[in-house]
Amino acid sequence: MFLTATAISAEAAQAAAAAAPRMDPLHHFQVIRYVEIAPFGLDLFSISNSVLWMWISVAAVFAFFRYAMRQPALVPGRLQSIAEAAYLFIRGIVDENIGHGGKPFFPMVFSLFFFVLFCNWTGLIPASFTATSQLIVTATLALGIFFLSIFLGFYKHGLKFLGFFVPSGLPVLLLPLMVPIEIISFLARPVSLSVRLFANMTAGHTVLGVLFFFSATLPWIGSWLPFGFSVVFTAVEIFIGFIQAYIFTILTCVYINDSLHLHH
Amino acid sequence: MISSAYAAAEGHAQSSGLPQFESSVFGSQMFWTVVSFFVLMYLLNRYVIPAINDILDSRSKKIGEDIQHAERARQDAERLLANYRDQIERARQLTATTLDEARIEAAAIREQALAELNEELSKKKASAVEEIERMRVQAMEEIREAAVELAMLATEKLIAKTVTKPKAESMVKEALDHMEQNRVGMRH
Repeated sequence: MFLTATAISAEAAQAAAAAAPRMDPLHHFQVIRYVEIAPFGLDLFSISNSVLWMWISVAAVFAFFRYAMRQPALVPGRLQSIAEAAYLFIRGIVDENIGHGGKPFFPMVFSLFFFVLFCNWTGLIPASFTATSQLIVTATLALGIFFLSIFLGFYKHGLKFLGFFVPSGLPVLLLPLMVPIEIISFLARPVSLSVRLFANMTAGHTVLGVLFFFSATLPWIGSWLPFGFSVVFTAVEIFIGFIQAYIFTILTCVYINDSLHLHH
Repeated sequence: MISSAYAAAEGHAQSSGLPQFESSVFGSQMFWTVVSFFVLMYLLNRYVIPAINDILDSRSKKIGEDIQHAERARQDAERLLANYRDQIERARQLTATTLDEARIEAAAIREQALAELNEELSKKKASAVEEIERMRVQAMEEIREAAVELAMLATEKLIAKTVTKPKAESMVKEALDHMEQNRVGMRH
């Protein structure tokens, strides 16, 4: 009797697990290939949802600025003012963090900020995909910045750039300890840069996913709470999307500045 | 029952791990991240950034020009103001000198008028004195003539008849009356 009951309940549990809505807040991080382009077995050009939303972000940034600046007027309209404010905002970041010699990097920093910002923001559209929640995407950007800063350092200062790892004003005895620490912290830069953005986006969207799941599956008497939270949290995510793009951009400028001016 | 369903779901999720660590999609995402980023950078650098640059530059140029214009206008206004102040000052000085001259002139005219008046008055006085003198002389002459006449009359009477004392007295009285009459008549 007892045995059969447990057997039935186990079967029932399995059936329930199959039938019940499955909570999988990580599901929407799943990269799905739409078009597979893999010449010579190298899956390099496949177009996935991640790639598609990257493109949409790029198109949105360009469309916004192109539309805002379609007829630049001396007395700006609303959109033109926003575009100019965005431009001046990035120029402020570049001037503050790179300063002298920062001008050539302005287009890159400007594009980087809006690429990351719009990838963060388009991810909040229902049924969209957040490209910046993919570690490989943020890592690609971070590694690009990392190698750029190394290249700039050697290009500008030659072998003197290695002095970057030797903090000035330290007793010689401490150098064997400090130099490896400096090197490790330098190598950690792309890791922290990419993981920070990816983790923020992933965490935020996971929380949103959980909240949406509960507001969709709980009976009405309980669903308003997670639903309300999800509304508030979406606003928070918009803010976090901006803040993370800002931090990403500022750190990029700081790294470029270190390579240009060797501050240690 | 539901919790065990969730447990099963969780187990499923855990078995696959974070989808972000599925390395089979790394290559294409890396490639397209790089391409997307550079395409965006190219587009912005080609179409957007120069436009914003231009408009900001031309605006700052315009503002600079406006400030220069304003500065020039201010200088002009200051010059004009100084000019007007100068003119007002000159007009004030002119008024002051004119007023002074007028005062001096008025004083001179008054002096002259006073002198003329004095002269006329003294002339009138002199003529009045002369007239009085003349009248006095004339009166004296008349008195003298009357006295002579009286004397002659008295003498004539004395010579013509002997007079008694009352007669003489009446005669003298008559003579005096006569003279008085004459005098009165002369005065009139």
